[in-house]
Amino acid sequence: MKRCLTLILATFIVFGTSYELTAQIKEKVWFDGLARSYFARDAIDQTNTEDTVSAKNASNGYNLLDLNTHVNPIKDIEIFAQLRIRNSFGSFFGSGTEINVRQLRAKGTINDKVRFSIGDLFLKQSRFTLYNYDEELSAYEHDMLKPYRDILHYENFYTENRWRLQGIQTDFSFKFDRFIRTLAFDFFVTRPRGSSAISGNTYSSDLLLSGGTMVSEINKRLTLSANYVNLFEVASSGTENISVRNPVYDLALLHHFGNDKHHFTQKLETGFSQRYWQHSELANEIPDSISNQNEGMFFELENKYSKNDSTLSVSIGYRYVDPNFRSAGAQTRRLDYAAGKSNTIYPLYTNMSIQRPRSVFDLVADDKIYNQDLSSNLMVFNPIYSNVLPYGDASPNRAGVYLKARVNQKSKALLGKIDAGFFKEVIGQGTEEKRSFGLVKAAVKLNMHRWFNWSKELSVSASSESEITNRGGDAISSVNLFSHQLNAALSAELAKRFFIQASFKQFHANGNEFLTERDNYGDITYFASTQVNQKDHMLSVGMLYKLRENVYANLQYNWWGMTFTDQAYSDYKYNRLLFILSVEL
Amino acid sequence: MKRKTKLILLVGLVGFFYTCTKEDFEGPSINNLYGNFEIIEPLTLTNDNPNFESNEQVGFHCKLNKPVEWKITIHGLTTSASREITGFSSQIDSNTVVWNGGPAQVPFFSEEFCSVELSFENEIDTLRDTINIASAKTYEDGIWFEDFEDGLPTEGLVYYNTDGGGMTFSVANDGALLGNSYFKMGGRVNWDWVLGSLDLPLNITNVSQAPDDLFINIGLLSDLDDLHTGQFINILISEETNTPFNDNLDNNASDLFESTMEVYKMKIPVDWNGWQLKSFRYSDFEPRDPNNPDIVFDMNPNNIRAIRIACQACPSSSGNPVCPENFGKDVRTDIDHIIFTANAALLDQ
Repeated sequence: MKRCLTLILATFIVFGTSYELTAQIKEKVWFDGLARSYFARDAIDQTNTEDTVSAKNASNGYNLLDLNTHVNPIKDIEIFAQLRIRNSFGSFFGSGTEINVRQLRAKGTINDKVRFSIGDLFLKQSRFTLYNYDEELSAYEHDMLKPYRDILHYENFYTENRWRLQGIQTDFSFKFDRFIRTLAFDFFVTRPRGSSAISGNTYSSDLLLSGGTMVSEINKRLTLSANYVNLFEVASSGTENISVRNPVYDLALLHHFGNDKHHFTQKLETGFSQRYWQHSELANEIPDSISNQNEGMFFELENKYSKNDSTLSVSIGYRYVDPNFRSAGAQTRRLDYAAGKSNTIYPLYTNMSIQRPRSVFDLVADDKIYNQDLSSNLMVFNPIYSNVLPYGDASPNRAGVYLKARVNQKSKALLGKIDAGFFKEVIGQGTEEKRSFGLVKAAVKLNMHRWFNWSKELSVSASSESEITNRGGDAISSVNLFSHQLNAALSAELAKRFFIQASFKQFHANGNEFLTERDNYGDITYFASTQVNQKDHMLSVGMLYKLRENVYANLQYNWWGMTFTDQAYSDYKYNRLLFILSVEL
Repeated sequence: MKRKTKLILLVGLVGFFYTCTKEDFEGPSINNLYGNFEIIEPLTLTNDNPNFESNEQVGFHCKLNKPVEWKITIHGLTTSASREITGFSSQIDSNTVVWNGGPAQVPFFSEEFCSVELSFENEIDTLRDTINIASAKTYEDGIWFEDFEDGLPTEGLVYYNTDGGGMTFSVANDGALLGNSYFKMGGRVNWDWVLGSLDLPLNITNVSQAPDDLFINIGLLSDLDDLHTGQFINILISEETNTPFNDNLDNNASDLFESTMEVYKMKIPVDWNGWQLKSFRYSDFEPRDPNNPDIVFDMNPNNIRAIRIACQACPSSSGNPVCPENFGKDVRTDIDHIIFTANAALLDQ
């Protein structure tokens, strides 16, 4: 045990990083932020005999400090700037040092009544209007991979399912003593993309996202909320005379009641979207027109029961999302498989130097493959990893029922959760036959130390996620795809705050599907038939030293790879040594 | 009552969902994309004895069970002229898939029998038919046209390096691209790039096309016998409007191509055997003197006043061995049938 602690101490010294910064709070200027040391050494597994061209191993790492400066020039105003200093390992005297401003924001309150923010905003509305859904296969992961996920989310500004946007936001609320209890408003205007040069003389238009939310607590049991969001291009800001418009309207009614032991919530949410392209400022005085217009609606009814002591909650619901429902703010994916981003770790493999197919490990460990930009079209997804709800709850062309349940023992010795859903397409794709989807996710965590009243933590967890897609009909258009992810993990606290961890992740997909290809206006142009039979694996062992919450050092070793059966790809295996020291100031 | 209201609302809501989407399915039919290929309706021609001189066309019709890459090949049995029309669709529509008698490249079709083949990518089926051309297409319908059939235009100016050897800057009558005459440009100047040029005045002030829609077409002849690998044609077009075409009577060249004038250029390497018809958009021409701040390069076809076709080649001599492999070789860049067309290249009309 002592040897382990000595090893960690030695590692700190090797990387020569000292973290003596502490959050400093003063009356007008105060600081917080995050510091991170990261080192990874990747190596080809010795069993990879088909790749003698790539480097046997490669290492990289960096130190970075994100220093958040909060300036309060007056009581109701705060200026926030996040300054990043990043130094890659192996660079000296500033040659590999980057300094840039990562976030800037001013926020404040006018007359203690109206709040406002200008600059970098983190925005979220309903799950159908503006919502940054979690990336696939991330919901039931063990804490051992949390350092990877922390980096992925932090680097891509994924916070509480919000989209990071730049613009202006304001909110204010009223309280009433009759008719209704409260009325709150929130409005924003942002610019997800500025005008940029497409070629020598042509420029794309500014892309703006504006919206508003109104929430009213009508009485103690009834809450009404309405959301509106619109993604649109300003044609005059570019040279293109075609610009997209995508307004989405959402209305929700929440009814809740209960007693001192039980609580019931009923939610009815519905809305609709429009999307079209506007042709304006045309030559020869041709009047403005619109094209590629479609409209779609959604509807969700959810009933939730929960015990007030948080030991049990069950939700059952029905959801219908029209095939033509389009909501850029809710349907933009974190992972875009058509964006042309190659894997950061060993992007090419085999002696033919072909592009390495993305694996579960890449989804966990590679923060560079993720997306931060809203898209007005449905992005390409990989049906292997998410075929049932590729665009979250806002996935178009789905109708079905779902169930969510959470069980916790009062002692927290046993935690369990289940998510299940059974959906069907509203209309078929490429055939009149409709796909049927099944989704079952279950996770259980046993906190043995609570069971046996041990002072040191010992926990075992396991989870299983399965997706099945079926479509009947003739042999040409039929679909049968099954995917399954298994997670198992163990965490044992050997000394105070010092943990030994092990986890195993396996993903298996088998069957056939049709990959949908769309044109610039989102219309389906082709279905590419694909057959899959692959198995991903990721085995990790490591140690974690938690100095305090959000301050930890993690050292782990990963064995990962993919095997293919009856497919054109070659199998591969790689290993990784990872060290992360993360300090939230 | 309350229960009844709820029930009505629910039924109304369910009805609303199922009226939102009217289509049978999204996207193209998978059975069409991946099913077996079938010809639903055979190949038919709208006109198998066309008179192209009278602007008649041949339309092609065929119906398939799924979209495929298809190719129609028309082959002249006498001239060996050929034309290919390709597409990706499940129906070949005779209103849009038409042939107006032109080849993809010279030689041109004449009054002859032509074979027609319709083939499909990755499929063994080939459909065949024949066309008997009653009257061949003519190629004189343009904004401006010069075919040298009446000799050198009276206002045309020919300059060539008189110190060179075997200079052929004159009208010839042996094997023209179209008609009987063409303009020979060639010879040998081992120490300099310039062999000579032909300047012709132009007046197309009534043209309404934008530079994108104005095409310059020219027939070019070379041969591969002892080919001069560094030979090329430079086409210059002048938009100088204030100077007379032939201001200086002593220099055997137009005075509209000075370095202070709005002149555009196109360089064409000539490295093939026989005649080829080349077509260029006027907008693809580049300013010849882009660094001259006094010239406004606003490219307006109305202002075109002259065209220069200059023959040049990489020189080679004992004192200037830039292209030693071409030492002692004759340059040949003969021209014929210079025609300006609107909206499409000559062979696409």
